[in-house]
Amino acid sequence: MQHRHLLPNELDLLVDDEAGFGMAPLRAHVESCAECADQLAAAQRVAGGLDRLTRFAPSPGFANRVMAQVQVIEPWHVALTETAKGLVPRNRTLRVVMATTAALLATGISGAAVWLSLRTDVALYLGSSIAERARVVVGDGATSLARTLLGEGASTLLGSGPGVLIAGTVGLLLSGAATAVALRSLATASRRTRE
Amino acid sequence: MAPRPDLTNVPDADVVALAQRGREDAFREIVRRYERPVFSLIYRMVRDSATSEDLAQDTFIKVLNHIDKYRPEFKLSSWLFKIANNVAIDHLRRKQLDTISVSGSPNAATESEIEATSFEIADGAESALDAMEARELGGSIEKAIAKLRPEYRACIMLRHVEDRSYEEIAATLDLPLGTVKTYIHRARIELRGYLEHLRE
Repeated sequence: MQHRHLLPNELDLLVDDEAGFGMAPLRAHVESCAECADQLAAAQRVAGGLDRLTRFAPSPGFANRVMAQVQVIEPWHVALTETAKGLVPRNRTLRVVMATTAALLATGISGAAVWLSLRTDVALYLGSSIAERARVVVGDGATSLARTLLGEGASTLLGSGPGVLIAGTVGLLLSGAATAVALRSLATASRRTRE
Repeated sequence: MAPRPDLTNVPDADVVALAQRGREDAFREIVRRYERPVFSLIYRMVRDSATSEDLAQDTFIKVLNHIDKYRPEFKLSSWLFKIANNVAIDHLRRKQLDTISVSGSPNAATESEIEATSFEIADGAESALDAMEARELGGSIEKAIAKLRPEYRACIMLRHVEDRSYEEIAATLDLPLGTVKTYIHRARIELRGYLEHLRE
Protein backbone atom coordinates (compact mmCIF):
# COMPACT_ATOMS: atom_id res chain seq x y z
CA MET A 1 0.00 0.00 0.00
CA GLN A 2 1.27 3.44 -0.89
CA HIS A 3 1.28 6.06 1.90
CA ARG A 4 1.61 9.20 -0.14
CA HIS A 5 -0.75 10.82 -2.62
CA LEU A 6 -0.40 9.89 -6.27
CA LEU A 7 1.87 11.96 -8.47
CA PRO A 8 0.36 13.54 -11.62
CA ASN A 9 2.16 11.07 -13.91
CA GLU A 10 0.81 8.20 -11.82
CA LEU A 11 -2.68 9.60 -12.29
CA ASP A 12 -1.96 9.66 -16.05
CA LEU A 13 -1.05 5.97 -15.94
CA LEU A 14 -4.38 5.20 -14.32
CA VAL A 15 -6.24 7.42 -16.78
CA ASP A 16 -4.58 5.57 -19.68
CA ASP A 17 -5.59 2.31 -17.97
CA GLU A 18 -2.05 1.04 -18.18
CA ALA A 19 -1.46 -2.56 -17.29
CA GLY A 20 1.59 -4.16 -15.77
CA PHE A 21 3.96 -4.13 -12.90
CA GLY A 22 3.46 -1.30 -10.44
CA MET A 23 -0.14 -0.49 -11.28
CA ALA A 24 -1.73 -2.57 -8.53
CA PRO A 25 -0.35 -0.42 -5.63
CA LEU A 26 -1.60 2.72 -7.41
CA ARG A 27 -5.09 1.27 -7.76
CA ALA A 28 -5.03 0.08 -4.18
CA HIS A 29 -4.08 3.57 -3.00
CA VAL A 30 -6.91 5.18 -4.95
CA GLU A 31 -9.38 2.84 -3.29
CA SER A 32 -8.28 3.95 0.14
CA CYS A 33 -7.60 7.66 -0.48
CA ALA A 34 -10.58 9.91 -1.11
CA GLU A 35 -8.43 12.82 -2.26
CA CYS A 36 -6.62 10.78 -4.92
CA ALA A 37 -9.87 9.11 -5.95
CA ASP A 38 -11.35 12.56 -6.46
CA GLN A 39 -8.29 13.65 -8.50
CA LEU A 40 -8.52 10.54 -10.61
CA ALA A 41 -12.23 11.01 -11.21
CA ALA A 42 -11.58 14.55 -12.41
CA ALA A 43 -8.79 13.38 -14.71
CA GLN A 44 -10.93 10.55 -16.08
CA ARG A 45 -13.80 12.95 -16.64
CA VAL A 46 -11.60 15.18 -18.80
CA ALA A 47 -10.12 12.19 -20.65
CA GLY A 48 -13.61 10.80 -21.19
CA GLY A 49 -14.75 14.13 -22.57
CA LEU A 50 -11.77 14.17 -24.94
CA ASP A 51 -12.48 10.60 -26.05
CA ARG A 52 -16.03 11.59 -26.94
CA LEU A 53 -15.02 14.51 -29.15
CA THR A 54 -16.34 13.93 -32.64
CA ARG A 55 -14.69 14.39 -35.99
CA PHE A 56 -15.92 17.27 -38.08
CA ALA A 57 -16.66 16.94 -41.77
CA PRO A 58 -15.43 19.39 -44.37
CA SER A 59 -18.03 21.04 -46.60
CA PRO A 60 -19.66 18.98 -49.36
CA GLY A 61 -17.61 18.65 -52.53
CA PHE A 62 -14.33 18.61 -50.64
CA ALA A 63 -13.15 15.42 -52.37
CA ASN A 64 -13.93 16.87 -55.81
CA ARG A 65 -12.00 20.02 -55.02
CA VAL A 66 -9.03 17.93 -53.95
CA MET A 67 -9.22 15.66 -57.00
CA ALA A 68 -9.38 18.69 -59.30
CA GLN A 69 -5.86 19.53 -58.18
CA VAL A 70 -4.39 16.06 -58.10
CA GLN A 71 -2.58 14.60 -61.06
CA VAL A 72 -3.59 11.00 -61.50
CA ILE A 73 -0.86 9.59 -63.71
CA GLU A 74 -0.64 5.98 -64.68
CA PRO A 75 3.04 4.94 -64.74
CA TRP A 76 4.28 4.01 -68.21
CA HIS A 77 4.96 0.38 -67.25
CA VAL A 78 1.40 0.02 -65.93
CA ALA A 79 0.02 1.65 -69.09
CA LEU A 80 2.07 -0.73 -71.20
CA THR A 81 0.86 -3.78 -69.23
CA GLU A 82 -2.73 -2.59 -69.39
CA THR A 83 -2.46 -1.99 -73.14
CA ALA A 84 -1.02 -5.46 -73.61
CA LYS A 85 -3.82 -6.93 -71.50
CA GLY A 86 -6.32 -5.03 -73.65
CA LEU A 87 -4.94 -6.72 -76.77
CA VAL A 88 -5.62 -10.18 -75.38
CA PRO A 89 -9.02 -11.32 -76.70
CA ARG A 90 -11.74 -12.17 -74.18
CA ASN A 91 -12.93 -15.10 -76.21
CA ARG A 92 -11.18 -18.31 -75.15
CA THR A 93 -10.93 -19.75 -78.68
CA LEU A 94 -9.43 -16.53 -80.00
CA ARG A 95 -6.96 -16.50 -77.13
CA VAL A 96 -5.88 -20.06 -77.99
CA VAL A 97 -5.51 -19.14 -81.70
CA MET A 98 -3.52 -16.03 -80.80
CA ALA A 99 -1.26 -17.91 -78.41
CA THR A 100 -0.67 -20.67 -80.97
CA THR A 101 0.17 -18.11 -83.67
CA ALA A 102 2.53 -16.31 -81.31
CA ALA A 103 4.18 -19.59 -80.34
CA LEU A 104 4.58 -20.59 -84.01
CA LEU A 105 6.04 -17.17 -84.84
CA ALA A 106 8.43 -17.36 -81.92
CA THR A 107 9.48 -20.86 -82.89
CA GLY A 108 10.01 -19.78 -86.50
CA ILE A 109 12.07 -16.75 -85.54
CA SER A 110 14.11 -18.78 -83.07
CA GLY A 111 14.70 -21.48 -85.67
CA ALA A 112 15.82 -18.91 -88.22
CA ALA A 113 18.14 -17.34 -85.67
CA VAL A 114 19.67 -20.71 -84.82
CA TRP A 115 20.09 -21.57 -88.52
CA LEU A 116 21.73 -18.20 -89.16
CA SER A 117 24.06 -18.63 -86.21
CA LEU A 118 25.19 -21.96 -87.64
CA ARG A 119 25.69 -20.42 -91.11
CA THR A 120 27.93 -17.49 -90.19
CA ASP A 121 28.77 -16.74 -93.83
CA VAL A 122 25.08 -16.25 -94.66
CA ALA A 123 24.52 -14.23 -91.47
CA LEU A 124 27.49 -11.97 -92.26
CA TYR A 125 26.34 -11.51 -95.85
CA LEU A 126 22.76 -10.67 -94.78
CA GLY A 127 24.00 -8.38 -91.99
CA SER A 128 26.33 -6.42 -94.23
CA SER A 129 23.67 -6.15 -96.95
CA ILE A 130 21.12 -4.78 -94.50
CA ALA A 131 23.66 -2.37 -92.97
CA GLU A 132 24.73 -1.13 -96.41
CA ARG A 133 21.16 -0.66 -97.52
CA ALA A 134 20.34 1.23 -94.29
CA ARG A 135 23.42 3.45 -94.69
CA VAL A 136 22.43 4.34 -98.24
CA VAL A 137 18.82 5.09 -97.32
CA VAL A 138 19.77 7.21 -94.26
CA GLY A 139 22.59 8.97 -96.11
CA ASP A 140 20.41 9.83 -99.11
CA GLY A 141 17.61 11.00 -96.88
CA ALA A 142 19.90 13.18 -94.77
CA THR A 143 21.60 14.68 -97.83
CA SER A 144 18.29 15.45 -99.44
CA LEU A 145 16.96 17.00 -96.21
CA ALA A 146 20.12 19.07 -95.73
CA ARG A 147 19.96 20.28 -99.33
CA THR A 148 16.34 21.29 -98.89
CA LEU A 149 16.88 23.06 -95.58
CA LEU A 150 20.43 24.43 -95.81
CA GLY A 151 21.37 24.47 -99.49
CA GLU A 152 23.96 22.79 -101.71
CA GLY A 153 26.98 23.58 -99.44
CA ALA A 154 25.56 21.63 -96.54
CA SER A 155 24.89 18.59 -98.69
CA THR A 156 28.54 18.63 -99.88
CA LEU A 157 29.73 18.80 -96.25
CA LEU A 158 27.42 15.94 -95.36
CA GLY A 159 29.02 13.85 -98.08
CA SER A 160 32.47 14.27 -96.49
CA GLY A 161 33.90 12.19 -93.55
CA PRO A 162 33.39 14.75 -90.70
CA GLY A 163 30.00 15.55 -92.14
CA VAL A 164 28.89 11.95 -91.71
CA LEU A 165 30.12 12.05 -88.12
CA ILE A 166 28.22 15.27 -87.41
CA ALA A 167 25.10 13.94 -89.11
CA GLY A 168 25.34 10.71 -87.13
CA THR A 169 25.68 12.58 -83.83
CA VAL A 170 22.78 14.90 -84.64
CA GLY A 171 20.72 11.91 -85.70
CA LEU A 172 21.45 10.12 -82.43
CA LEU A 173 20.53 13.21 -80.38
CA LEU A 174 17.32 13.68 -82.33
CA SER A 175 16.32 10.06 -81.93
CA GLY A 176 17.06 10.28 -78.18
CA ALA A 177 14.89 13.39 -77.88
CA ALA A 178 12.15 11.73 -79.92
CA THR A 179 12.21 8.70 -77.62
CA ALA A 180 11.94 10.91 -74.54
CA VAL A 181 9.02 12.83 -76.06
CA ALA A 182 7.32 9.58 -77.04
CA LEU A 183 7.64 8.15 -73.50
CA ARG A 184 6.32 11.37 -72.02
CA SER A 185 3.39 11.33 -74.46
CA LEU A 186 2.65 7.76 -73.51
CA ALA A 187 2.53 8.69 -69.82
CA THR A 188 0.34 11.72 -70.50
CA ALA A 189 -1.96 9.76 -72.79
CA SER A 190 -2.38 7.16 -70.10
CA ARG A 191 -3.82 9.72 -67.71
CA ARG A 192 -7.06 8.29 -66.64
CA THR A 193 -10.40 9.67 -67.71
CA ARG A 194 -12.09 11.29 -64.76
CA GLU A 195 -14.96 9.24 -63.45
CA MET B 1 -14.16 -1.97 -69.42
CA ALA B 2 -15.05 -4.11 -66.42
CA PRO B 3 -16.56 -2.23 -63.45
CA ARG B 4 -14.09 -1.27 -60.74
CA PRO B 5 -14.43 -3.24 -57.51
CA ASP B 6 -15.62 -1.42 -54.41
CA LEU B 7 -12.63 -0.29 -52.34
CA THR B 8 -14.52 0.36 -49.12
CA ASN B 9 -13.19 -2.71 -47.32
CA VAL B 10 -9.77 -2.83 -48.94
CA PRO B 11 -6.86 -2.21 -46.51
CA ASP B 12 -5.07 1.14 -46.73
CA ALA B 13 -1.86 -0.40 -48.07
CA ASP B 14 -3.70 -2.00 -50.98
CA VAL B 15 -5.60 1.18 -51.76
CA VAL B 16 -2.30 3.04 -51.88
CA ALA B 17 -0.85 0.37 -54.17
CA LEU B 18 -3.79 0.89 -56.54
CA ALA B 19 -3.34 4.66 -56.36
CA GLN B 20 0.32 4.18 -57.27
CA ARG B 21 -0.87 2.34 -60.37
CA GLY B 22 -2.89 5.40 -61.40
CA ARG B 23 -6.34 4.33 -60.22
CA GLU B 24 -8.42 7.43 -59.63
CA ASP B 25 -10.99 5.56 -57.54
CA ALA B 26 -8.17 4.66 -55.13
CA PHE B 27 -7.27 8.35 -54.79
CA ARG B 28 -10.89 9.16 -54.05
CA GLU B 29 -11.09 6.36 -51.50
CA ILE B 30 -8.11 7.79 -49.62
CA VAL B 31 -9.81 11.19 -49.50
CA ARG B 32 -13.10 9.61 -48.45
CA ARG B 33 -11.48 7.67 -45.60
CA TYR B 34 -9.42 10.49 -44.17
CA GLU B 35 -11.17 13.77 -44.99
CA ARG B 36 -12.88 13.87 -41.58
CA PRO B 37 -9.87 12.93 -39.41
CA VAL B 38 -7.55 15.28 -41.29
CA PHE B 39 -10.03 18.15 -41.36
CA SER B 40 -10.86 17.70 -37.66
CA LEU B 41 -7.22 17.68 -36.61
CA ILE B 42 -6.50 20.81 -38.62
CA TYR B 43 -9.70 22.53 -37.52
CA ARG B 44 -8.90 21.98 -33.86
CA MET B 45 -5.43 23.36 -34.50
CA VAL B 46 -6.32 26.51 -36.45
CA ARG B 47 -9.93 27.13 -35.34
CA ASP B 48 -11.15 28.52 -38.64
CA SER B 49 -13.37 26.54 -40.99
CA ALA B 50 -12.36 28.05 -44.34
CA THR B 51 -8.67 27.97 -43.46
CA SER B 52 -8.98 24.40 -42.23
CA GLU B 53 -10.53 23.33 -45.52
CA ASP B 54 -7.75 24.99 -47.47
CA LEU B 55 -5.10 23.37 -45.29
CA ALA B 56 -6.80 19.96 -45.43
CA GLN B 57 -6.94 20.33 -49.19
CA ASP B 58 -3.23 21.18 -49.26
CA THR B 59 -2.53 18.11 -47.13
CA PHE B 60 -4.32 15.74 -49.50
CA ILE B 61 -2.82 17.35 -52.60
CA LYS B 62 0.68 16.94 -51.13
CA VAL B 63 0.05 13.34 -50.20
CA LEU B 64 -1.72 12.28 -53.39
CA ASN B 65 0.69 14.03 -55.72
CA HIS B 66 3.54 12.19 -54.01
CA ILE B 67 1.80 8.88 -53.51
CA ASP B 68 4.64 7.16 -55.38
CA LYS B 69 6.95 8.13 -52.50
CA TYR B 70 4.78 6.43 -49.87
CA ARG B 71 6.71 3.95 -47.75
CA PRO B 72 4.58 0.95 -46.81
CA GLU B 73 6.31 0.50 -43.45
CA PHE B 74 4.67 3.77 -42.37
CA LYS B 75 0.91 3.86 -41.77
CA LEU B 76 -0.93 5.94 -44.36
CA SER B 77 -2.92 7.68 -41.63
CA SER B 78 0.30 8.56 -39.79
CA TRP B 79 1.73 10.03 -42.97
CA LEU B 80 -1.43 12.08 -43.52
CA PHE B 81 -1.52 13.30 -39.92
CA LYS B 82 2.14 14.19 -40.05
CA ILE B 83 1.62 16.38 -43.11
CA ALA B 84 -1.63 17.81 -41.74
CA ASN B 85 0.11 18.74 -38.49
CA ASN B 86 3.04 20.31 -40.33
CA VAL B 87 0.70 22.29 -42.57
CA ALA B 88 -1.29 23.51 -39.57
CA ILE B 89 1.80 24.40 -37.53
CA ASP B 90 3.27 26.28 -40.50
CA HIS B 91 0.03 28.20 -40.83
CA LEU B 92 -0.06 29.05 -37.13
CA ARG B 93 3.50 30.23 -37.26
CA ARG B 94 2.55 32.58 -40.06
CA LYS B 95 -0.59 33.81 -38.45
CA GLN B 96 -1.96 33.91 -34.93
CA LEU B 97 -5.59 32.81 -34.78
CA ASP B 98 -7.91 32.85 -31.85
CA THR B 99 -11.36 32.49 -33.39
CA ILE B 100 -13.20 29.55 -31.89
CA SER B 101 -16.44 27.82 -32.62
CA VAL B 102 -17.48 25.24 -30.12
CA SER B 103 -21.02 24.32 -30.97
CA GLY B 104 -21.33 21.84 -33.76
CA SER B 105 -19.52 21.30 -37.02
CA PRO B 106 -17.79 24.32 -38.51
CA ASN B 107 -19.82 23.70 -41.67
CA ALA B 108 -23.19 23.27 -40.02
CA ALA B 109 -25.53 25.84 -41.55
CA THR B 110 -28.90 25.04 -40.02
CA GLU B 111 -30.09 24.41 -36.49
CA SER B 112 -30.57 20.71 -37.19
CA GLU B 113 -27.09 20.38 -38.68
CA ILE B 114 -25.60 22.10 -35.66
CA GLU B 115 -27.53 19.72 -33.44
CA ALA B 116 -26.47 16.70 -35.49
CA THR B 117 -22.81 17.56 -35.51
CA SER B 118 -22.38 19.08 -32.10
CA PHE B 119 -20.53 17.40 -29.27
CA GLU B 120 -21.65 13.83 -29.04
CA ILE B 121 -23.26 12.79 -25.80
CA ALA B 122 -21.97 9.56 -24.39
CA ASP B 123 -24.11 6.61 -25.41
CA GLY B 124 -24.23 5.53 -21.82
CA ALA B 125 -25.53 8.86 -20.51
CA GLU B 126 -27.92 7.86 -17.77
CA SER B 127 -30.16 10.85 -17.55
CA ALA B 128 -31.00 14.18 -19.08
CA LEU B 129 -28.76 15.75 -16.46
CA ASP B 130 -25.86 13.55 -17.54
CA ALA B 131 -26.55 14.47 -21.16
CA MET B 132 -26.59 18.16 -20.35
CA GLU B 133 -23.39 17.84 -18.35
CA ALA B 134 -21.71 15.94 -21.19
CA ARG B 135 -22.73 18.62 -23.69
CA GLU B 136 -21.49 21.34 -21.38
CA LEU B 137 -18.23 19.45 -20.86
CA GLY B 138 -17.82 18.97 -24.63
CA GLY B 139 -18.23 22.67 -25.33
CA SER B 140 -15.90 23.55 -22.48
CA ILE B 141 -13.32 21.04 -23.67
CA GLU B 142 -13.35 22.54 -27.17
CA LYS B 143 -12.76 25.96 -25.62
CA ALA B 144 -10.05 24.58 -23.37
CA ILE B 145 -8.30 22.79 -26.25
CA ALA B 146 -8.17 26.10 -28.10
CA LYS B 147 -6.11 27.51 -25.21
CA LEU B 148 -3.48 24.78 -25.41
CA ARG B 149 -0.19 25.17 -27.22
CA PRO B 150 -0.47 23.83 -30.80
CA GLU B 151 1.97 21.00 -30.06
CA TYR B 152 -0.16 19.91 -27.11
CA ARG B 153 -3.31 20.13 -29.21
CA ALA B 154 -1.91 17.83 -31.89
CA CYS B 155 -0.82 15.26 -29.31
CA ILE B 156 -4.11 15.36 -27.42
CA MET B 157 -6.15 15.05 -30.63
CA LEU B 158 -4.15 12.11 -31.89
CA ARG B 159 -4.31 10.42 -28.50
CA HIS B 160 -7.98 10.90 -27.71
CA VAL B 161 -9.81 11.51 -31.00
CA GLU B 162 -7.71 9.29 -33.26
CA ASP B 163 -6.95 6.78 -30.49
CA ARG B 164 -3.23 6.56 -31.30
CA SER B 165 -0.65 5.05 -29.00
CA TYR B 166 2.12 7.22 -27.59
CA GLU B 167 4.58 5.47 -29.91
CA GLU B 168 2.47 6.18 -32.99
CA ILE B 169 2.09 9.83 -32.01
CA ALA B 170 5.85 10.11 -31.57
CA ALA B 171 6.43 8.61 -35.02
CA THR B 172 3.74 10.76 -36.62
CA LEU B 173 4.91 14.04 -35.16
CA ASP B 174 8.61 13.22 -35.32
CA LEU B 175 8.97 13.73 -31.58
CA PRO B 176 10.77 11.66 -28.97
CA LEU B 177 8.45 9.34 -27.04
CA GLY B 178 9.26 11.11 -23.77
CA THR B 179 8.31 14.47 -25.26
CA VAL B 180 4.96 13.11 -26.41
CA LYS B 181 4.25 11.74 -22.92
CA THR B 182 5.22 15.07 -21.39
CA TYR B 183 3.06 17.05 -23.82
CA ILE B 184 0.02 14.88 -23.17
CA HIS B 185 0.59 14.95 -19.44
CA ARG B 186 0.92 18.74 -19.39
CA ALA B 187 -2.03 19.18 -21.74
CA ARG B 188 -4.23 17.10 -19.45
CA ILE B 189 -3.14 19.09 -16.43
CA GLU B 190 -3.88 22.34 -18.25
CA LEU B 191 -7.24 21.04 -19.42
CA ARG B 192 -8.10 19.96 -15.89
CA GLY B 193 -7.29 23.46 -14.75
CA TYR B 194 -9.43 25.07 -17.43
CA LEU B 195 -12.32 22.74 -16.61
CA GLU B 196 -12.06 23.09 -12.85
CA HIS B 197 -15.25 25.14 -12.73
CA LEU B 198 -17.24 22.16 -14.02
CA ARG B 199 -16.29 19.91 -11.17
CA GLU B 200 -18.95 21.16 -8.85
